Amino acid sequence: MARWGMVIDLDRCTGCAACEVACKSENNVAAVSVEQADMGRASSWMKVMAHVEGEFPDTTMHFYPRPCMHCDNPPCIRVCPVQATYIDDEGIVGQIYARCIGCRYCANACPYMVKYFNWYGPEWSEAERQHLNPDVSVRPAGVIEKCTFCHHRLQKAREDARAEGRELREEDYQPACVDVCPTNAIIFGDLDNPSHAVHTLKDDPRVLRLMEDLGTQPKVYYLRPRD
Amino acid sequence: MSPSRREFLWTMGAAAATVALKGAQDVFWESDESLDVGWAPGIEERRNSTCLICPSRCGIRGRLVDGRLIRINGNPLHPLSRGGLCPRGVAGVQLLYHPERLAGPLVRSGPRGSGQWETVTREQALERIAEQLGSLRAAGRPEGLALLAGYSAGTMQDLWRQFLHNFGSSNYVADEYEDGTEAVMAVMHGIDRRPSYDLDRARLVLSFGAPLFESWWSPLQAFVAFANPDAEEESGPRFVQIDTRFSRTASRAHEWVGVRPGTHAVLALGIAYVLIRDELIDADFVARHVAGFEDFVDAQGQPREGYRSLVMRNYRTEEVSAITGVPVARITALARAVAANRPAVAVCGTDVAFAPNGLLAGLAVHSINVLMGSVNRPGGVLFADDAPVGPLTSPVLDETARAGVGRGPIGTQRPVFGSGGEALRFAAAVAGAEAPIEALLLYYANPIASSTDPSVWHEALEKIPFVVSFSPFLDDTARYADVVLPDLLPYERWQDAPTPTSYPYPVWGLARPLVEPHEGAMHTGDVVLDLARRLGGSVAASLPYESFEGLLKERTRGLFAVRRGMTLGGQFEREHHRQMEERGWWLPEHTDFEAFWDELVERGGWTDLFYDHTDPYRIAQTDSGRIELMPAKLLSALAEEGSELRPYLDVATQTAADSTEFSLRLIPYRVSTLASGTLSLERWLAEQPGIFPDVLWHPWVEVAPETAHALGLSDDTLVWVVAPRGRYRARLKVFPGTAPETVCAPYGLRQPDGEPANPLRLLDSTNDPLTGLPSWSSTFVRLEQA
Repeated sequence: MARWGMVIDLDRCTGCAACEVACKSENNVAAVSVEQADMGRASSWMKVMAHVEGEFPDTTMHFYPRPCMHCDNPPCIRVCPVQATYIDDEGIVGQIYARCIGCRYCANACPYMVKYFNWYGPEWSEAERQHLNPDVSVRPAGVIEKCTFCHHRLQKAREDARAEGRELREEDYQPACVDVCPTNAIIFGDLDNPSHAVHTLKDDPRVLRLMEDLGTQPKVYYLRPRD
Repeated sequence: MSPSRREFLWTMGAAAATVALKGAQDVFWESDESLDVGWAPGIEERRNSTCLICPSRCGIRGRLVDGRLIRINGNPLHPLSRGGLCPRGVAGVQLLYHPERLAGPLVRSGPRGSGQWETVTREQALERIAEQLGSLRAAGRPEGLALLAGYSAGTMQDLWRQFLHNFGSSNYVADEYEDGTEAVMAVMHGIDRRPSYDLDRARLVLSFGAPLFESWWSPLQAFVAFANPDAEEESGPRFVQIDTRFSRTASRAHEWVGVRPGTHAVLALGIAYVLIRDELIDADFVARHVAGFEDFVDAQGQPREGYRSLVMRNYRTEEVSAITGVPVARITALARAVAANRPAVAVCGTDVAFAPNGLLAGLAVHSINVLMGSVNRPGGVLFADDAPVGPLTSPVLDETARAGVGRGPIGTQRPVFGSGGEALRFAAAVAGAEAPIEALLLYYANPIASSTDPSVWHEALEKIPFVVSFSPFLDDTARYADVVLPDLLPYERWQDAPTPTSYPYPVWGLARPLVEPHEGAMHTGDVVLDLARRLGGSVAASLPYESFEGLLKERTRGLFAVRRGMTLGGQFEREHHRQMEERGWWLPEHTDFEAFWDELVERGGWTDLFYDHTDPYRIAQTDSGRIELMPAKLLSALAEEGSELRPYLDVATQTAADSTEFSLRLIPYRVSTLASGTLSLERWLAEQPGIFPDVLWHPWVEVAPETAHALGLSDDTLVWVVAPRGRYRARLKVFPGTAPETVCAPYGLRQPDGEPANPLRLLDSTNDPLTGLPSWSSTFVRLEQA
């Protein structure tokens, strides 16, 4: 059984945010109005966070692309009263929109703040509907949505592999953010498969996981910047 | 053991997730109209093309479902972008299906700028334009036609130029991104071309204010060199960013050297001082290819100091340190790094060129490349070829056209070198004269939004009786047009897309329609050909092409016949071709032009990755045949102008605030996702304009914590940025990377209500008299709580 995970090399990330836009495009994440954005209601399953240290002129800044950590011990599923959020056999933390009652317990429980609540239904103009990705459902008002590691791509890749009578290869299943990254800063694969790059990288001495002390066991690893 | 209820629900969860992702709208949400997007199983397809949003021209691969463009990804075959893409490229789907897109051609029905329009057919719009242009020629005043064109390198630019020439006008006015390097190359090398930078093979990249990872010619070129995705181990060059502002590029470079505003070039000469003093320069290269290094006797027989004497006498590290604020040890270390990591390349950016003496500062920065022999060598400054596409048919000028062209372009006041500030000079000439321009065409230019002085443009537009815009959106300038004939959007049209000169190899990218063209819009290339046909006579005779697509295909025959290069291919193919060509081989892969064209379209373009480093003409084409550190052209131009400026001496802009009222230095900068005034902003991009996660949609300015504290302003306050010339509203962001006493102001955003928020409008009117480029670092402002 695969255990999907991600390694993000902070030395390679230039903070361009192509991953952020690719994610929105792949997953039909609707932009909200300016007023809603001002209230902090914009969704971004993948968000590039800037971490600034020091004073001028000894300032340093690093960019942390932050998807869902797909924790092995996810705090969000423990608080969900209706089992709308769950972790599957391969370690992907998902959200069942049809079951979600919009209580937002999970959004509050998530220390990484990667769960977004739909205060309104998506507002797509007639023209904009043309570019919606038919592989991913749009979400109604009143539910939580989040990064799925582009789970629909896994389903598709698996079907293709099965049709061709072969094993799933590393390059068959890559989320949209990984695909687009111009500096190859994001690496994705099966953490338990020795032939996948992430398997070795997760044991790199530079590895760092966000808020590891909480015991969430995130499956997104960061490679600390070299000095 | 039977499953417990909890485990049962668990299994159901996984099953339901599949349903939710696949087609749950049919099951659960039938009543919600916003979710009914009419999905059905569709036919999926992937097509290669080229991105036309910025000058970088990266390869893209569109994912289509039933003819709709769903996703834009990178094209891994493209040698420049190698499968990567920037956020603007990815957001292209929102540009294509933008709700503000014009539905069809418009003709003004009320007073100018009143917003009253009449919808017309394409035929009617074309007729109207042809009639106006025809009357200009009939009256014998073809030079009354002018074109203001944004970045359009390639066949569109060639076509426009040819059309205007045949028509009888020399008023092709460029309104595009400039970084001042063209003039530096022209005076030092005698080569009228922007330099290419071989970042991939450099070991050290010394960027003087070039926004390499943000809004440079090609951020992707810099990204690829930075991350080196083709290499197994991380062996990309070391990036050193010399910048006033702690930019995104500065933060991600291996080293950031913060210099005082306007002193980049002083630091460059400080580095040169150490290189010469410690005998670290490439003395052999200097002896063979460089003039003006040692003292010399000028054309008037006067003894002059050469580069070495000037630098050794004036740029001792202590003095440089006092001016730039960079410690002596750091200057020495930088110079040693340059010498130890050869090839090293110095890149000159807008922060250097956009200054009152930008050309002289650019010369100083580039002199490092000359001293280190980083010219025409792997990893240095190169002069790339253009893709050898076939020419257009030769121009045919009738009597009217010849007379019109003979009367020359409007506004003869030109800078000595380069063509900076051309658009604004044109506007000023039109505004000041009595109706010299009777028809203005706007092609991807929106000067009302992008100009440093929109009021001059307002005046100019008042004076021009007929204005046509080809913008797909009703942008700020199109609002003042008489006819708007919208162009097709990038993913609907044929266009060639050569990579910018910063990339050392010619790549002739091809953009092709990914989706069915919008019926209300028309390819501006086809408009030009159609207008030529309608005008008839010699104008029609010189552009005998059926369609723009046909014209592109015709020019491609040049690539087919040239016996070098390849259609885009993977890493192995690229390397194979390069190695073959290095050994003087080339294998014909196509015997038939049609098959070649089909493959070129399918793969997304053509490239030739071989660069001839042995060609001496790529080092210097000056009269002396050498790279001139003390350029004869420049010295005589300065003498003619009666200018006091001296090369390598007057390289800093050390203006200080001259009043206590305006005491903060304004540093405007481009944001990669926003740097365009001509295309409407995509909503996804408005949601992540900068590095501050809480700034969405709104314009902002950055100040240092101590500056904010001194002003009594806190983070997120709404402030007025006030300059002698005007003011605008923005959010204040306190950022520890900002130098004290400065205000860093991104441009490209406007207030959500549409009100402009453009820091460029606050700039004082100082410019470099030699290049005509504006000064971006000599304006002072104050902040007031709004």
